[in-house]
Amino acid sequence: MKKTVSVNIRGINFIIEEDAYELLQQYLDRLSITLKNEQGSREIIEDVELRIAELCLQKLSGNKSVVELNDIEEIIGIMGDPSQYIDEEDTSDFREKSNEEKSTTDHDSEKKLFRDTDNAVIAGVCSGIASFLKIDVVIIRAIFVIMFLFAGFGVPLYLILWIIVPKTKSTIDRLRMKGKPITVETVREEVENAAENISKGSKRFAQQLRNDDSYSKSVRNGLRILGTLFGIGLVFVGIAILIPFLIFIIGGFEFIPVANESGFVSFPEFGEFVLTNSSDYNLMVTGILLAGFSIIFFLLLSGSMFIFKIKNKWAKISLFLLFLSGLTGGILAGIVGVRTGKDFVQYTEIEVSVGTVDTKNLFLFPQERTLNNEGEKFIKSNSTLSLMEVDKEDVRLYGVSIKYLPSSDSLFHISKELSARGRSQNAVLERCQNIEQHTEIAGDSLFVNTYYEFPKEDKLRDQEVKLIIEIPKNGTVRIKDRIITLDGIEPNKEDFHREQDGFLKGNGKYKHYN
Amino acid sequence: MNIENTQAQMRKGILEFCILSILEKKEAYPSEILEALKKAKLIVVEGTLYPLLTRLKNSELLTYRWEESPSGPPRKYFTLTEKGKMFLKELNNTWTELNHAVNEITQTN
Repeated sequence: MKKTVSVNIRGINFIIEEDAYELLQQYLDRLSITLKNEQGSREIIEDVELRIAELCLQKLSGNKSVVELNDIEEIIGIMGDPSQYIDEEDTSDFREKSNEEKSTTDHDSEKKLFRDTDNAVIAGVCSGIASFLKIDVVIIRAIFVIMFLFAGFGVPLYLILWIIVPKTKSTIDRLRMKGKPITVETVREEVENAAENISKGSKRFAQQLRNDDSYSKSVRNGLRILGTLFGIGLVFVGIAILIPFLIFIIGGFEFIPVANESGFVSFPEFGEFVLTNSSDYNLMVTGILLAGFSIIFFLLLSGSMFIFKIKNKWAKISLFLLFLSGLTGGILAGIVGVRTGKDFVQYTEIEVSVGTVDTKNLFLFPQERTLNNEGEKFIKSNSTLSLMEVDKEDVRLYGVSIKYLPSSDSLFHISKELSARGRSQNAVLERCQNIEQHTEIAGDSLFVNTYYEFPKEDKLRDQEVKLIIEIPKNGTVRIKDRIITLDGIEPNKEDFHREQDGFLKGNGKYKHYN
Repeated sequence: MNIENTQAQMRKGILEFCILSILEKKEAYPSEILEALKKAKLIVVEGTLYPLLTRLKNSELLTYRWEESPSGPPRKYFTLTEKGKMFLKELNNTWTELNHAVNEITQTN
């Protein structure tokens, strides 16, 4: 009874006795060492493998289904010893060379990073690195786990390495991975070690069928360099997006300049008081995460494919799936966008009367917000208070517009117009009523707060406050050193429909439009 | 100077010439070329052919296409390129000259 293994030679599957397999493997390894200085050695070996496959098939005709040791011995006899492949002249050349220039051999056995799939937990990235650095694999795995737990970088890093680091395909690769010299002895040793770990390694034959045509070499090289550069660009962009994306979206970094206790709010927090409800919020976050990560991984993967000339089916399928998930993410975010948009459809304003003043000159005093709570902060830009503040229950917006109209009698009529948007008239009306803005008349003075508040649950729905001042004939409004009379406001139709005439900024400054 | 080395050198040039001649008649894949060479007792071990084919292809004397085989692995069918045809023509001339020269000398001896 003899143990057999299944091998794939150039796309054809064979059942082969184990000792026969070892002999064949050794033969091919010795051949690749012999030919390593020969131009196109890989191609030669592939051709030889094709011929061996053909000869094996001939041996298998009839009811014989297993390739036996003596078959392989015979085939090797037909093919000849590796030393016979190159004619004498060249062989002696080669021998001299290898004696004189040991450096060539050293160069060839230079250590390279491979994925060690024989000792893999997932894809052999960690065991490959461990082998490369000559460190215990447990340490490398621990580092990856820690990176995953504390920074979340472990997973993308692992995936990237999975894609870009080749796995060992031959004994020579395994020797390179371990940094051992490549000699006939070490190869034999390694083959014996690896006898149980037989990789079937499909050889990407279809790809070769397409690529081997005789293009002009220079064009191919040029394209290759361009492809690599393009790939590097893609990966670079991917990483450039990945880092801020992780920090801002996932990390909850507070970067939107809205004043709350800590000065800024993060993207998730901002979403909370713009989006209608928590399910919309969750949907939006899912959509953004899905789209963001898909785009980033798409860039990284396609970049790597360009750089490392990866053309296998799985990489392409992954790209397609990433494209689909990116699209799905975009659609999810879009749905939320449309739904949120619907909550802006209706617009309503309500007018609230503040009172009348019997005077010739009305003095308007803008009231800035005073800091009352300890630890409260304002975000200032251009000496203006922030446009928006958030605390536990309320949203506070800054800036009140003013509109001047001619009075129908000899009194100043002061009123406020509160406006908002929403899904339905009722909802909007409720929002309007929830807007709190303080304006007070005292003698001939009008104290106007430059800010207004409404509950956080109302969400940001275009809530605005407009102060309407009806000025009697010959009356003036004085804001600091500015005097406003009816002369500046001609009561013709165009002007009458003007949205606003002036604006009280959050910092108490007045801006007059004219 | 040993006999094997001299034989190998003689065979080397002739082998390339013969491979090109085989391919001039018709497109062929390695096993067919091997069959012809073996029949003519020009080749002892099959392995010798493959580095030669690759070298000829890399020198752009040969080109190939893949073809699926009904009974085994796909086959690489080789043909001469224009450059290969020119090359073979030159070799033919040289061969005629050499043949003539060798005959004359060996016969006069």
